[in-house]
Amino acid sequence: MLTLFGMSLVIFVLLRLAPGNIVDILFDSAGYVSEADKALIERELGIDKPVWAQYVDWLRAVVTGDLGKSYRYDQPAWQLIKPMIPVTVELAFLSMVISVLLGVPTGVVSAVRQDTGLDYVLRVFSIAGLSMPSFWLGMVIILSLVGWLGWIPPMIYVSPAEDLKLHLVQFLLPALAVGYRSSALIMRITRSAMLEVLREDYVRTAWAKGQSGRAVVWRHALKNAILPVVTVIGIEFAFLIGGLVVTETVFNLPGVARFLVEAILWRDYPIVQNLVMFIAIVVVLSNLVVDMLYGVLDPRVRYG
Amino acid sequence: MHGARTLSLVALSLVLAVVAVGTPAVAQAPKYGGILNLAQRADPAQGFAIHETGTIDVVWPASPCFNNLVYFDPLKKQESLDTIIGDLAEKWSWQDNYRNLVFFLRRGVKWHDGTPFTSKDVKYTFDMIREAPDAQAKLRINPRKAWYANVEAIEAADPYTVVFRLKRPQPSLIAMLASGYSPVYPAHVPPAEFRTRCVGTGPFKLKEWRKGEYIDYVKNPDYFVKGRPYLDGLRFVVIKELGTRVAAVQAGQLDASFPGDVSGTRAEALKKAVPQLVITKSAQNVNDNLIMNTKKPPFDQVKVRLALSLAIDRAEYVKTVHQGTDAIVGASMAPKPYGVWGLLEKDVKTLPGYGKAEANRAQARKLLAEAGFTASKPLKVEMGTRAIAIYVSFASFVVDQLKRVGVEAELKQFETAQWHPKVTRRDYELGANLTGIGPDDPDANFFENYSCGSPRNYTDYCNEQVMKMMEAQSQELDPKKRLALVWQIQKKLELDVARPVMGWRIGYHTEWPYVKNLVPHQSIYNWARMQEVWLDKK
Repeated sequence: MLTLFGMSLVIFVLLRLAPGNIVDILFDSAGYVSEADKALIERELGIDKPVWAQYVDWLRAVVTGDLGKSYRYDQPAWQLIKPMIPVTVELAFLSMVISVLLGVPTGVVSAVRQDTGLDYVLRVFSIAGLSMPSFWLGMVIILSLVGWLGWIPPMIYVSPAEDLKLHLVQFLLPALAVGYRSSALIMRITRSAMLEVLREDYVRTAWAKGQSGRAVVWRHALKNAILPVVTVIGIEFAFLIGGLVVTETVFNLPGVARFLVEAILWRDYPIVQNLVMFIAIVVVLSNLVVDMLYGVLDPRVRYG
Repeated sequence: MHGARTLSLVALSLVLAVVAVGTPAVAQAPKYGGILNLAQRADPAQGFAIHETGTIDVVWPASPCFNNLVYFDPLKKQESLDTIIGDLAEKWSWQDNYRNLVFFLRRGVKWHDGTPFTSKDVKYTFDMIREAPDAQAKLRINPRKAWYANVEAIEAADPYTVVFRLKRPQPSLIAMLASGYSPVYPAHVPPAEFRTRCVGTGPFKLKEWRKGEYIDYVKNPDYFVKGRPYLDGLRFVVIKELGTRVAAVQAGQLDASFPGDVSGTRAEALKKAVPQLVITKSAQNVNDNLIMNTKKPPFDQVKVRLALSLAIDRAEYVKTVHQGTDAIVGASMAPKPYGVWGLLEKDVKTLPGYGKAEANRAQARKLLAEAGFTASKPLKVEMGTRAIAIYVSFASFVVDQLKRVGVEAELKQFETAQWHPKVTRRDYELGANLTGIGPDDPDANFFENYSCGSPRNYTDYCNEQVMKMMEAQSQELDPKKRLALVWQIQKKLELDVARPVMGWRIGYHTEWPYVKNLVPHQSIYNWARMQEVWLDKK
């Protein structure tokens, strides 16, 4: 709670330190300015008050469940944000699934086959993933599809209830673009953790006992090497919630990340504050889940 | 490289020529039905509140909801006073030597909520815009008040007759009324509500606006024009990323592009990939111009401004910044063959920044030296611009050109939220600016952008002689004499370096061949009603 309170304060102040406000942008789109009209709108929106007074107003509203109204859309913030949350969470989740499915096995194989041709190929694959920004990869995917097949995924969000197959098609490509980049990171962490563990005495003992390669690698080594990987997965998931902006833009998915950046550009304070708080909550929760997983994966870690 | 570019330009011109020639001349019988899917580059900033905005992002998706008193004929490419047709006004008549404009309104027209449309709505709308003392409502932001500065009174003589009484004759007032920026609002709906919903009389009724996703319209079954619209509905799909938007047109998910989206190089690539796409080269009525703060020395001196204008090679600008395909040169009115009022090519060539670049630069250096700026004591300026690609490439080009005459310009990029307050506070020296003009008419352009005290006159240029010329052209009844006056004003504005124009933007409207009657005009703001559009699909 203390973290969230601190976050809310930092975001609130930082946002107001940025020059310009939504009224400047509205007048810009009209191509002129009238100081009297500008002052009137600022009063109407409550942004003429001192920052501390605005913060108190906002905090008071939030504790009563009122997230405020979007300045840009003139609609309750929650009404706008609500349908976007599942889109981003699903995309982040699918991306993580893809990155784990790609990253963990390739990391293990790369470590087991250290310094072989296969290891080199997998390392190149992972470095390429780290070097390619996911939005660039997304754009390449879109342009290749339209160039070769004359087809791109749907540009309007298709809910799973509407058409599950089309929904998966719509999410799979962006998830692949994002998941590939994250998988590279997971692969590198898995590989280095595995290399460390594979040199441990208990692994040598397992080999000496005549256990099968599969059992040694997957049951004994990986289980002990997985803790740093889980940490990275947790951090990546939290990062993705806010970091999917360009992928959502390229694939035209109506998620919170894209909406957040637009809201920042528009200085739509209620939307920005609420979305940042949402992301902060996800970060806190994913850290909590990771901490709990430590206890499950490593019997030495127990919370009393 | 140069040869390849020339070749590709020739190829593009040929392709466009073939497209134009290949269009069947035989009129087909329109078909009813279907949904037209259109590109939309962003959520409309002020919803459907056209009167509170100055951006195509609102006019494009909001126009199908409304009607004007009069409108530019959607089927004619080039707009002029002669292409204006009745919309909510069945007919109109100029009286008292162009001092009174009388509109005779259609009967039986209903707003989308069922309320009857009358002359009260017309009076309400235009009194609100011109901020008449007895106006019944006030707009939060009112960008086009200046258009109606010459209106003395509006009278609703009876429910179906409206009279606009003018202070002096102004034949082109009707051009402003025909613009996509001039819909009639209902008197019974507060103007603030248009930011979230739309009640118009237009051919389409707003069905749903899913923020960040799409805007859906359905056919208005009670539309006052019998047999219109042809379409069952419209869908404006919001796609922020330009590359994705164009890809969606190419893939057939969208039936037509967003105005101004497709550049010459993109048009060429699209035509190669999908030969059946119909691509029409059209103007936008948007120009790139350099703003110089005339209140800040040394830009209060005409000779310094002239030196800077001379230093920028306009032909090179079009070739470099717009690849030679996406802009054409011109002065302050849209050039021919797109615009009606533009200077003739031979006159444009005599303006500062045209002709031999080296000779112009030598003259610029001379003028700067006269103003006290030499190689040892160069003029140092800040060139400000928005941090948006189209502005940055424009500003970078200017910085480079100024360097060639010894001016040290430093490029500074600002977010829109920062840049606009700077310009309106006149807290800038030089700036890269884009100006979009509603109708292609001198009254809409001159008074807004060059008249003394106008809020959109960002350079604060003020010349009493030019003001008199503007007034004179505005009330000139003889079209030929008016055109001559407008040409004189344009030359004067360029020589005074009021706001030197770099070029006029050109777009390549792209649509699938089954889309019929969606005709781009020379101004992007005036052809989005969609009343006549139909789909040649089974």
